[in-house]
Amino acid sequence: MVNLTIDNIKVSVAEGSTILEASKSAGINIPTLCAWPEIHHTPGACRVCVCEVEGQRNLVASCVFPVSEGMIVKTTTERVRRARKLNVELLLSNHPTDCNVCIRNGNCELQKVAEAVGLRTVRFEYPQNKEKKLDTSSPSIVRDSAKCIKCYRCVTVCENIQTACVLQPSYRGDKVFIGPPFDMPLIETNCTMCGQCVLACPVGALYEKDDTEAVWAALQDPTKHVVVQEAPAIRAALGEDLGMPVGSLVTGKMLTALKRLGFDKVFDTNFTADLTIMEEGSELLQRVKEGGKLPMITSCSPGWIKFCEHFYPDLVDHLSTCKSPQQMMGALIKSYYAEQAGIDPKDIVSVSIMPCTAKKYECQRDEMNDSGYQDVDIVLTTRELSRMIKQAGIDFASLPDSDYDNPLGEYTGAATIFGATGGVMEAALRTVYAIVTGTNLESLDVTPVRGLEGVKEAAVEVGPLGKVKVAVAHGLGNARKLMDKIREGTADYAFIEVMCCPGGCVSGGGQPIAPSNEKRITRAAALYKDDGAVQKFRQSHENPSVKRIYEIFLEKPLGHKSHKLLHTKYTKRGTDVPHKKVNSK
Amino acid sequence: MKVFRAHILTCGGTGCNASGSEAVHRAVVQELITKNLTDEVSVVETGCNGFCAAGPIMVIYPEGTFYQYVKAEDVPEIIEEHIIKGRPVKRLMYKEPTSDQPIPHMLDIPFFGKQKLVALKNRGLIDAEKIDEYIAREGYMAAAKALTQMSQDEVIEEVKKSGLRGRGGGGFPTGMKWSFARKSAGDVKYILCNADEGDPGAFMDRSILEADPHAVLEGMIIGGYSIGANEGYIYCRAEYPLAIKRLNIAIEQAREYGLLGKNILGTDYSLDIHVYQGAGAFVCGEETALMNSIEGKRGMPRPRPPFPASKGLWQKPSVLNNVETYANISQIILNGGEWYASMGTERSKGTKVFALTGAVNNVGLVEVPMGTSIGDIIFDIGGGIRNGKQYKAAQLGGPSGGCIPAEALNTPTDYEEIIKLGAIMGSGGLIVMDEDTCMVDTAKFFMEFCQEESCGKCTPCREGTKRMLEILKRICHGEGRDGDIELLEDLAGIIKDSALCGLGQTAPNPVLSTIRYFRHEYEAHIYDKKCPAAVCSKLFKSPCQHACPIEMDIPAYIALIRANRLADAFKIMKKTNPFPGVCGRVCPQFCANKCRRGQLDEPMAIAWLKRYISDNAKRPKIDQAPVTRKEKVAVIGGGPAGLTAAQDLCMRGYKVTVFEELPYAGGMMRYAIPEYRMPRDIVEQEVSDIRALGVEIKTGTRIGKDISFDALRKDYDVIVIAVGAHKSWKLDIEGEDLAGVWGAVEFLREVNLGKKVNVGSKVAIVGGGNSAIDAARTAVRLGAKDVTILYRRERKDMPAWENEIQAAEHEGVKIEYLVAPTKLIGKNGKLVGVECQRMRLGEFDRSGRRKPVSIPGSEFTLAIDTIVPAISQNTDASFIPAGSDVTIDKWGGIKTTGKAKNKTTADNVFIAGDAASGPATVVEAIAMGHKTAADVDDFIRARNNEPAYRVPPEEEIEIPFEVDEEVIETPKGKMPELKKSERRITFKEVELGYSKKTAYKEACRCLRCDAEL
Repeated sequence: MVNLTIDNIKVSVAEGSTILEASKSAGINIPTLCAWPEIHHTPGACRVCVCEVEGQRNLVASCVFPVSEGMIVKTTTERVRRARKLNVELLLSNHPTDCNVCIRNGNCELQKVAEAVGLRTVRFEYPQNKEKKLDTSSPSIVRDSAKCIKCYRCVTVCENIQTACVLQPSYRGDKVFIGPPFDMPLIETNCTMCGQCVLACPVGALYEKDDTEAVWAALQDPTKHVVVQEAPAIRAALGEDLGMPVGSLVTGKMLTALKRLGFDKVFDTNFTADLTIMEEGSELLQRVKEGGKLPMITSCSPGWIKFCEHFYPDLVDHLSTCKSPQQMMGALIKSYYAEQAGIDPKDIVSVSIMPCTAKKYECQRDEMNDSGYQDVDIVLTTRELSRMIKQAGIDFASLPDSDYDNPLGEYTGAATIFGATGGVMEAALRTVYAIVTGTNLESLDVTPVRGLEGVKEAAVEVGPLGKVKVAVAHGLGNARKLMDKIREGTADYAFIEVMCCPGGCVSGGGQPIAPSNEKRITRAAALYKDDGAVQKFRQSHENPSVKRIYEIFLEKPLGHKSHKLLHTKYTKRGTDVPHKKVNSK
Repeated sequence: MKVFRAHILTCGGTGCNASGSEAVHRAVVQELITKNLTDEVSVVETGCNGFCAAGPIMVIYPEGTFYQYVKAEDVPEIIEEHIIKGRPVKRLMYKEPTSDQPIPHMLDIPFFGKQKLVALKNRGLIDAEKIDEYIAREGYMAAAKALTQMSQDEVIEEVKKSGLRGRGGGGFPTGMKWSFARKSAGDVKYILCNADEGDPGAFMDRSILEADPHAVLEGMIIGGYSIGANEGYIYCRAEYPLAIKRLNIAIEQAREYGLLGKNILGTDYSLDIHVYQGAGAFVCGEETALMNSIEGKRGMPRPRPPFPASKGLWQKPSVLNNVETYANISQIILNGGEWYASMGTERSKGTKVFALTGAVNNVGLVEVPMGTSIGDIIFDIGGGIRNGKQYKAAQLGGPSGGCIPAEALNTPTDYEEIIKLGAIMGSGGLIVMDEDTCMVDTAKFFMEFCQEESCGKCTPCREGTKRMLEILKRICHGEGRDGDIELLEDLAGIIKDSALCGLGQTAPNPVLSTIRYFRHEYEAHIYDKKCPAAVCSKLFKSPCQHACPIEMDIPAYIALIRANRLADAFKIMKKTNPFPGVCGRVCPQFCANKCRRGQLDEPMAIAWLKRYISDNAKRPKIDQAPVTRKEKVAVIGGGPAGLTAAQDLCMRGYKVTVFEELPYAGGMMRYAIPEYRMPRDIVEQEVSDIRALGVEIKTGTRIGKDISFDALRKDYDVIVIAVGAHKSWKLDIEGEDLAGVWGAVEFLREVNLGKKVNVGSKVAIVGGGNSAIDAARTAVRLGAKDVTILYRRERKDMPAWENEIQAAEHEGVKIEYLVAPTKLIGKNGKLVGVECQRMRLGEFDRSGRRKPVSIPGSEFTLAIDTIVPAISQNTDASFIPAGSDVTIDKWGGIKTTGKAKNKTTADNVFIAGDAASGPATVVEAIAMGHKTAADVDDFIRARNNEPAYRVPPEEEIEIPFEVDEEVIETPKGKMPELKKSERRITFKEVELGYSKKTAYKEACRCLRCDAEL
């Protein structure tokens, strides 16, 4: 332990701690903008967290400066206060002043820091002639360079966590901008559309493409039959954005809100999550039995799919051919449901609420039109839905619960845990085990695949199949580790689950800002609660609606209709840019 | 080994090649073949010789003869004369600037003589591409000694003892840095060399790498051995292709010789060195950014700690030193740390290389012992300022450094002393700036550099420097605001305090240091919208007009001469100048000093053109100005300031009376300037124009005697005091009350009053200004046989105009330099001699000139009949009664107040001219007269609650625009002069004025900077 004094408070902290961490333990919150210690991002760039250390000639950045024995730190001297204020003032001097109409209005770290340092005036005029250049090329993410404050968080997330290396600093001096090389439009790059950069952005420089107006329009159009589905992770996070505690499970309120917004039918992506398990489990067994490409890798996460197509085009055959639950649902709504309900699919507007920005891109992929129409029309993120609820003046916290609509609403606990890393694997193991052995797993909780370990492994004895080795990765950097193993030929797994975002969908790029591991765990816990304590069934094959759809429509997993509506194919994209044509042939 | 009877060394660095040295080298090779001398004479292409201003350079040994500005076509003559016939070629030798005598031997040239070479030991002596030549000069002896006879700790100890500090700019003790890295745990360590050299104006690293790459490698081997590094990198900017080429050759040769690679010199120590090319980012000179760059990442600095000594390149312990630092190491190991530490100051040891550039005569690379003063480097080695201009400041430390003003020229080159000035030693780039440099513009230039080179990582550097740059830009554009200087200071302080790396922490230095020493220039830009150096072109139409205190529209009247419209030209002049005829003769021409034509050949002869107009133009009839106001103004003193103020006030409708003590108006114009320079009728005509307007001039009336000051104040609403400075300073030595001792003003006045002044036959004048020259030339005309000017400095320091000095010399005046009178010797109350003392020039004074210091025991006596001290004048304020509300200052002058210094302590008493400013020029007096008249009018109107005066519309004069398409170098037109024989005996005007033809030709030289195309 190291002993030091901060603002006359004696503090004892672990060796290697930074002043920022030590201050926190002394109850002092030093304002920061660029630092994000959780992902080891402390570039010392914004200089808002500066403080005075006795014996140091200059002010030091508390987020990076390590403590030492006997150190005397001052965080509130006039010198410190003036420097912090000026540095925030400088950031604001080059930041558009349209806060009131900014997508991050009220949820902006720069605003908060300006308040924290007590800034009341900016002595410099915002450059009137500053070029406003929005990159709206991507269906998922909008880049507004003018608002960027160069905290480099998105760079670290994109490079170190997701290893896509799309967002990078270019040029020098005040011309520095953060973006793709040569300022290429995002759509032409290796961007996976995961949106982790959006979660990282403290201001409105990176945000999801807002599609709420299109949904409002559809809801207002009497000729349209508007159907909505919600991904499992929404119910564990939506409440947060609407004033409820982190980890509130709000399934019933969410369904009520959606109905009040005017959706004609409120289905649930969890239904197709169960269906995915049926199809994917069957595919896995088929590959195992018939000597197909192994390990087989999950394909629910569109960011991951795009990443694999770019960086591991040689390994796309390992991907399950199953569509993601969103796209399965989309295909079924405009075929099965349309048929059942007697509605012309051309009149259906299929909306999905996703924790994910990549889903906006996924629904526009060329191959996602097996119903004869674009299967899913509009994807909203959790944040967009919460915005619509706010705009509608709905007091979310006080809403009564509702139930989903049939026939595409019923789900099991296995489906709901899709939203947390390891969930797909756990659900698949439950069903595969049951199918192969005819009995249920001894414990349905497959705990080795839960939690935030980057790469998780498990081995399960599955009767005649023997020991089945599986692995789970979340975050593309972790996925890369497994993919490299596959390339090297050292991956002896049968099945791998990959989720694009760290923590899985609970912390997807469309979820409430800002993420932390604590929130990931708490949100996941809500889903495990849904699985363990709320839902009647915990195994996908037990879902009565799933059984029914096979009986009356799909016939059998991997059957002819399944193949047409529920399975897809991939494109070997590679990393050559520009990728002008992102949609596959 | 082959022995040659002569060696011809040509310089061959990047700069040398740019000046054409390669062609010289080829010509020598060819000529030796042609003359069949290849067995007798060897030719060596060395690196940079250092004296870049004189390049291409050739040095011929064994004599050490130095040839400058050598061209390929000079080579046959050199070979024929010097090599074959043994007759050195004088015309190509360096000439002593004052005597113009050739100096044959290199080391006798002051540029070289005062240097001490350690890091540059081999410069200009060896072929950098031949390792044998390096070895022949003790090369790799130090490495051998270190590796075979010294332990790692002993090496570090020796370097510590030497006191060597990082020459890249940081100044961190090298030995200490090495010992940290040595103590750091880890078996993989790196030795790194910073050859990124990005400072504008610095080129010492390039020069060392090009001239002596092995010295750097040897330093790295020794350093690498001491810390236990087996791999090293030299990070060299890609813009240095020749340095990289020679480094790679050197590395290859060293590997061949077993001096790099496995088991160096058969020891256990192995080291390999790679050259890594940087893309030329200034920030990559910062050590952590440099390491990021070698790692293949974007060159952005990392926060420290951890320091490179524990986690450097690839997170391994690393030592990074600069090229020059390494170049010192071998000498330290060979000669011992104590030897090195014997040079320099207490905390800055050894020698330092400076890249001397800018407005200095001897641009080049110099190495001097630490502690040598900045002034010595610039004036002794550098040969002073180019084109006889004034020194303004030197920028030390590049964009991270600060400027060193004239008052700090005595500062020793010592890390701590330099920091006290607000500059930094940096890598030793020393950019000299003369009076034509605008310090705000300079700050803007460096800020722009830092702003563009900022990596953009941290807020203060990225945004803060940009905001500072914007403020500086607006100041330079004339859009500066009150508070901008303070805002700059605020930004600068916090940026320095909170930026991430050295770049940001030092980027504000040039701004802070220019504000510190040249705040008045910032203020001139912001408040007066003036750029004193006439650089910030947004502030003016043409530099000449901007430099003129009364902003005469010079390009316009010159254009009108060309169009032969002299009457219009005269009107243009009269708009701002009531005394064009006077100024055409005696104006010091601030305008010509800034004339852009001067950058091509010679400045325009602006005053002579002005004189041409006033001598030849048809004059317009002058109508009396109507009196429209009830207030009356009295002006005390009929000199240029008083008369100008009177004229302006008269034109604004006031009744104005001028009171002049002497028989004629004109003041100094009439009574201090001798008639041979300023004919009386010229002054009288211009005075009469003012009288014609309606100004009443009462001559022969002394206030305080004929009318009391208080009485005058009762009669007039406002008084303007413009009594000039008509009292000469005394020498303050024994014997000043003797007969034959005259103050210069009194002497000239007496003569100009037409009184008989007997000067005797031997006259001494004391001083170096125009008054001294006037007194001397007047004495000649009064019949003195022997007139000597005693001046305590050197000729280059004389404030008098060069053409005046020459004219005096032509007329037989002698000038004794470095002499000061110490005692006046009398006999029977009459002066008979003066005792003088010889002086030498010592330290620099605040004006940037060296201070004369007396040499004890050098006293000598001159027999003289008259002595005229012409050292300065002050105001006679005795007309103001004691107890007046017009206060007298502690020097006996009238106390001035207000920003323009034209108010006294009494509300309605203003002051103008020399009485306010101290001795100045006619044009400055006119300027003050204008300003004071306007202020008087404003004062009266404000008191009456009247609206401010509005200038009535003026007659539009169309100005033709005609320029020569091709500009041919032409000196200015010569002024015809009175024959010398006539000059000594009469007071006739010496300068006769331009003919129409000469004036036309001269007018055609104008580049018309005023034109907006």
